Amino acid sequence: MPVNFQSIQAQIREMGQKAELRERDLLAKLRKAREVLYTYAVETEAVRQRVAQAATAAKSLRCALPSGEPLTTQLPTPPLRCEYVLLAADGSQVVPSHHDAVEFGVINVGAVRFLPGQPYAPREYIYSELLFHDKLYTADGYLLTEEVVALKRDVAERGTLADLARQEKLPVVTLTDGQLEIYGESKRSKEFDREIERYKNVLNDLAAQGVITAGYVSKPRSDLAVRMLDLMLLERLEMAGNERMRQLGGLTDATLFAGFRDIPPLLAPGERSAVFGIYSKPNTPFDGALAVHYFYLNVGTAHRPVLARVEVPAWVAADPALIDLLQHALVAQCQALGSQPYPYALHRSHEVAVVSLEEKKQLENMIMIELRRQGAQVDSLSEKQFHKELQHRTRYP
Amino acid sequence: MSIPTTHSTPRQVEIGRLLRASTTGCVIGCRVSQLDVPSFGCMVSIPLQPGYQVFGLIYDIHIDDDGLVRQLVTAEGVPEDVIQDNRQNRNVPIEMSVLLVGYQQGSRVYHMIPPRPPLTLDAIYICSDEETCRFCSAGHFGYFRHVLRAQDLPVGELLAAHMQNVARSQRSHGNPGWVEQATQELITLLRDDYPTLMAVLGALGDADLQYAE
Repeated sequence: MPVNFQSIQAQIREMGQKAELRERDLLAKLRKAREVLYTYAVETEAVRQRVAQAATAAKSLRCALPSGEPLTTQLPTPPLRCEYVLLAADGSQVVPSHHDAVEFGVINVGAVRFLPGQPYAPREYIYSELLFHDKLYTADGYLLTEEVVALKRDVAERGTLADLARQEKLPVVTLTDGQLEIYGESKRSKEFDREIERYKNVLNDLAAQGVITAGYVSKPRSDLAVRMLDLMLLERLEMAGNERMRQLGGLTDATLFAGFRDIPPLLAPGERSAVFGIYSKPNTPFDGALAVHYFYLNVGTAHRPVLARVEVPAWVAADPALIDLLQHALVAQCQALGSQPYPYALHRSHEVAVVSLEEKKQLENMIMIELRRQGAQVDSLSEKQFHKELQHRTRYP
Repeated sequence: MSIPTTHSTPRQVEIGRLLRASTTGCVIGCRVSQLDVPSFGCMVSIPLQPGYQVFGLIYDIHIDDDGLVRQLVTAEGVPEDVIQDNRQNRNVPIEMSVLLVGYQQGSRVYHMIPPRPPLTLDAIYICSDEETCRFCSAGHFGYFRHVLRAQDLPVGELLAAHMQNVARSQRSHGNPGWVEQATQELITLLRDDYPTLMAVLGALGDADLQYAE
């Protein structure tokens, strides 16, 4: 059945009517946030203290933490000071499903190696791992969840980068798409914890090699810096952590730095913000050298700011030369894609990694053929899946 | 049409492998590094088994685009490594369309549609001068009818490019009269199709073919 367009049309109209109101609200919050940002621009220690005080009142507090640079920092793209190798990796996965004829999973990682500034085609790498039999189940006998398979993919992505980086002599910048930090796991399992440990080991390996490690977040929605500014507006610390008491709720960091309507961007094209740390609840898996830091980078143009959030581990954040090289590399990569700036190397690694539905079907057939060849019993699709895959109505002729 | 066997001929440059085929034509895929050799109108051969090979003419070489390439062309100053990436790693293989114009069975050349098409991943070679002369001199230009029948192709341009290539080979093999004979045959074949005849003759004129004195 199609969408009930008639019923939804009224809701769309209502949405349009409320848009203006929401924009006005957003503008007011943005003005307020900018005011606070400028007020405390160099008083970073006062902000850090405020966060620490608020943390005692709100146990689940999560917000940005100034790392030393003024809050209004705008640093242009630095010139390139050395040759470097850029490695990017992306992953794709087939999540096992008991509705399929055979239960299997796949972790597929695509990576590319660029020598920026050199007239050579990059090298492509692809690594595929089939998950079958025991590898598909947790120690408690449950089929691997989507979350665990995704984490396995993340580990494989960064593991691939660490292996490739080991072969390099030049400084190495590694990129992956999305956050560096893994959090939000609702139902922690032993498998999840084990994969987190492996993930941290790989990050430690990258740190030991001195490899610049970064996660690139396109169209970021986070509001950690805004939440930090919100704390400065609190009348009483007890209010910290209470969503309803927030004055800047609904405003994102990207809007704070990109501006909105008549409020100009804080960052010019190619400029980055200050590097922020993240205050998070105690016992986070990422602390010490692996504590996640981030900055915002305007990879857009004067007419169309495009804000990306770049996450790096603490040991990268602590070295301005490494941040400079990373900023340079990202701006150059994004410029290659013109009006839709995004690191070219990341897009290419995605292209290499992606497993299409057709390829999944092909793998399934290969597995079934092999099982039959070995005389094994092959199950069939679940009845539910069978009906979902029925051919759609066709037109005559 | 009995001609010496070509088995002893050293194989020329491999230009790619077969992607798909029918009895009238096929599409070849090649890497960018293989692209300097083949050109529009080139004669190619596809050996299928000892004593059996198929001949064809390249009538199209296409470079496909995609969303990323379209995005890249809008960017200012595309870096050289990105250009090389798109040429060498992406959008491959480059596809070439070939019109099948005859085959060789044993020692005989037939200007007929081959009895069975080549198969996926068969290797395709550029014909040597000797092979080209042998194929084009066999019989009486019977393969022209396959070209003239292909209404969707730029027939005049294809014949002109082909004759330019063959004329050079024939001259070096002591047969400078081939161009004139081929042109006469085309005039005869197209005597009832004035528009096509004019298009073909116009293209041949532009090809600056050297006719025997």
